[in-house]
Amino acid sequence: MTKTRRQLQKEQTRKHLIETAFRQFAQHGFITVRTADIAQAAQVSHGTVFAHFATQEALFNAVIEEFGLRISRRLHELAVGNRGLREVLEAHLKGLREFEAFYTRWVVESRVLPDSTRDTFTIVQSTISFHISQAAEREMDAGEQIPIPVHLLFNTWIGLLHYYLANDDLFAPEGSVLERYGQELLEHFMRLIKAR
Amino acid sequence: MDRMKICVACGMPMTEVADFALGDVEKDYCVHCMRPDGTMQSYEEKLDSLSALIVRTQGLDQGVARNAARNMMARLPAWKVDEADEGTD
Repeated sequence: MTKTRRQLQKEQTRKHLIETAFRQFAQHGFITVRTADIAQAAQVSHGTVFAHFATQEALFNAVIEEFGLRISRRLHELAVGNRGLREVLEAHLKGLREFEAFYTRWVVESRVLPDSTRDTFTIVQSTISFHISQAAEREMDAGEQIPIPVHLLFNTWIGLLHYYLANDDLFAPEGSVLERYGQELLEHFMRLIKAR
Repeated sequence: MDRMKICVACGMPMTEVADFALGDVEKDYCVHCMRPDGTMQSYEEKLDSLSALIVRTQGLDQGVARNAARNMMARLPAWKVDEADEGTD
């Protein structure tokens, strides 16, 4: 089915708005950025933003869905290749590093975001955890890692990352927390779960 | 493969032939949303399995997980109508 020029243009504007919002949220946070700021940064009218996203919440969700899609695509490619847990976690770190500023804002502000926005993120995290669990369970079955329920394995890993990200001003005030500590955290986590 | 679809039932990106129900790239739903006979799971079946996935992968409270699953399904093409009929539980 061929799309009309108008449909294509509409899709492009939507994409452009999501990209702009992505950058604005990463830079200033979810709560402080107004839809008017996004319209201005995207160089469109305020009405155009509302034509695509009826509410600010709808825009939050669209941006988070896009973030989730990008991260899970990367992990999905790896998971189907029967990669090891270390490689999948490395891919997770690499994916997060690309969106570190955005992701950190989410870690810090999630409690005050609308419920539906948090739900969207829950689904994204489940997808990530699922990919990690596929690799982890293969290694647990092979006796290489100690058996740990999937949710605890994931929460231990994510808890470590989120603690460093939420306190990035203490750990890496002038740069990327994941660049500075990512590898060390990964090594530490792998040592924790390694079968004795 | 050059095509990339999103499963209408769970939202999973389908990039490999093996991702599609019955390995059929014409299908709009993924292998995880397929019943043993190849048809697509019902709204209730999907809601149950998605909620269970959230609990298994993240350990969230069951009610929270169910709400998150329902909220996400409401935005997928396959469930827009069913969700409205579903009411609350």
